Amino acid sequence: MSQGQSDAELRLVTPGMAIGPSAGKRIGSGAVAHDDDIIATKLGWVREFNGTVSVDPINSSYIPRSGDLIVATVAEVRNNLWFMNINGAFQGLLPMSLAPWKVEFGAARQHMGIGDVALARVQEVDECHNVVLTMKGIGLRRLNQGALLTIPVNHIDRIKGKDNSTLERLKSASDCRIIVGQNGKVWVDGDAQGIAWSRAAIEIAQRCGHKETFEAELSAHENNAPNRGEQ
Amino acid sequence: MVELVPTLLRQELARMAESDQRMDGRARFEAREITLETDCLYNAEGSAKVTMGKTIVYAGVKFEIRTPWPDRPAEGSLMCGAELRPVAHRKYEPGPPSPESIELGRVVDRGIRESGCIDMASLCIVPGEKVWGVMIDIHVLSDGGNIFDACGLAAIAALRTAIVPAERFDVGEDYTLKVKGTPIMASFTRVGGRYIYDPSEEEELGGDERIHITLGDEGHLHSLQKGLRGVFTPAEFTEIFDVAQLRCAELRKLVANQEGN
Amino acid sequence: MGGYGDVQLLREDGLRLDGRKIDEMRPVTIEAGILPAADGSAIVTQGLNVAIAAVYGPMEAHPRKIQRQDRAVIDVRYNMAPFSTSDRIRPGYNRRSREISKVTAEALESVVLVERFPRSKIRVEIEILAAEAGTRCAGITAASVALADAGIPMRDFIVGVASGKVEDTVVLDLDKAEDNYGQADLPVGILPNTGEIAFLQMDGDLSPDEYNLAMEYNFKAAAEIHEVMVDALKRRYEGGEN
Repeated sequence: MSQGQSDAELRLVTPGMAIGPSAGKRIGSGAVAHDDDIIATKLGWVREFNGTVSVDPINSSYIPRSGDLIVATVAEVRNNLWFMNINGAFQGLLPMSLAPWKVEFGAARQHMGIGDVALARVQEVDECHNVVLTMKGIGLRRLNQGALLTIPVNHIDRIKGKDNSTLERLKSASDCRIIVGQNGKVWVDGDAQGIAWSRAAIEIAQRCGHKETFEAELSAHENNAPNRGEQ
Repeated sequence: MVELVPTLLRQELARMAESDQRMDGRARFEAREITLETDCLYNAEGSAKVTMGKTIVYAGVKFEIRTPWPDRPAEGSLMCGAELRPVAHRKYEPGPPSPESIELGRVVDRGIRESGCIDMASLCIVPGEKVWGVMIDIHVLSDGGNIFDACGLAAIAALRTAIVPAERFDVGEDYTLKVKGTPIMASFTRVGGRYIYDPSEEEELGGDERIHITLGDEGHLHSLQKGLRGVFTPAEFTEIFDVAQLRCAELRKLVANQEGN
Repeated sequence: MGGYGDVQLLREDGLRLDGRKIDEMRPVTIEAGILPAADGSAIVTQGLNVAIAAVYGPMEAHPRKIQRQDRAVIDVRYNMAPFSTSDRIRPGYNRRSREISKVTAEALESVVLVERFPRSKIRVEIEILAAEAGTRCAGITAASVALADAGIPMRDFIVGVASGKVEDTVVLDLDKAEDNYGQADLPVGILPNTGEIAFLQMDGDLSPDEYNLAMEYNFKAAAEIHEVMVDALKRRYEGGEN
């Protein structure tokens, strides 16, 4: 659900439903023009912003875009490249030249093997869905410890909160490092207690991060946080 | 399709095992909540639906009249099959029955057959000519972990509520199938180095070998199966065997309560 | 006539054996999001029929030979569970289920915005748990709801509906006896918002006028079922649970 819109403005539409006349409007994602109308193509909430009408989908798979920060898992290693599972329809390709290490031809496996998890960025996506990843950049690295969680991509904003406010609260209360990949993979690292608390907190945010009850639920959960005494 | 196992998942499961914890907060031998419904499929002569966490399984019983095997002219037959169709998970692919489907069906079949809960002689209509063939078909709709136990439970619950459709086949009046006993399966998977009961989808993904134990009313073993790569010690088996006894008794009560409704 | 003159399908009072009027469909219920492992799912009951649909994807199309460089393919499997009919069905594909799967996939490809997902595959699994005539239509309806639930973009739903002819009378939504002993069956997949037709089969004997009347009934039923579909999706999400 989009933020900054009151409940009264929210309108749930289903595919094929006419949202309104198309005259004078730009058409965003989740909608198409048909005759003189704007038609929803997804199940979701209608959003109108700066004259653009779109539908925020309730459910959506991860569609990679260049620049996305993602948490990826190595699926296949070749002499000079890695195929990474990025939680999308297609695997991403990480060439040796975009790895953070100086890799000899044939030595890719020594740096990352199958099942290893890495923080990467989407370098490029072409029309045929070929995805090239990079690990050159600040903070991009192999993730050697911690827990990996999967959330629907449309829940990402709930975990982050406005200007990352929720995410910062989770980090400080749990004393964990938390990275929310734009592909719906969340990395949490800290002690066992912190990870367990974060898991539960992320579930709360997923369930009611968009509701008025969220503040009360999160506050109650914070009272049981590992880091409560230091706040 | 072989699923990718993130190294971090195995690491985390191992770390949790050190303090005897599980990802969803359960105790080592604690089950997820189970719901059991019976008589839920209109065209089946007996049916059951089992939900355990994200796992959903249906079982349906059908009857046919067939000629008996020459060496057993006065005995009917029982057959139990399972289908792991692509509806149940992203990892299941279309095609002929996979080895996993066949193993699942056969393990459930053995537990029910070997418990002796169906008297094959009672399925005879005319010796040497006509006997009943009882067929239990198990349909997994959502694989959220531990489908073996869900399938075993659905199969026996469906069987225990089955009505023999004698009228439709012109061989007398319909009657309730006689089932003596309630064989129940309990499954354990090695996760983080030790066995846990009722694994979730994540625990199965990051776990190792599994052991399936089917026990009859008297607590006797009727079927055992070890699956996937890994080894175990006799002492480990003794521990989970004791858990299986307790858990099977509880589930037997669940089936009995459902029948009482 | 179908040659089944002994079986009476319409009563003296003009109603059908199950008490329905000739243009009345069986009650339809729909629930979305019922299978936790799937990306999208739905259950449709229509009378005694039970159809479940699960959607997975979009995912890379395998094997490579089915890949299309310019769009996604929709891979439909319509399957009747062994216990779904009064005589057990042997598990596995048969000619009937293959044909239904093929035309259902082609119907769905006409509404899903497949060009958004080149080289991909969207898997649609339709499982019939109880079959009492009209399962292909219930399956199409379930698949549409499951696709919307999975967030797959579509320009419209497809609603599966059927009319037919019994005792020289056009009736809406044949039940099992009417299907077995009737004279015609006209199952169609209707786009409820545009009024187009994406799925069409027919067997039996219909005059042009009878065809027009049967279609009229089908459109009326599609509008009713469409409301139930929309309601199922709204019920799941409007409470704000997701």
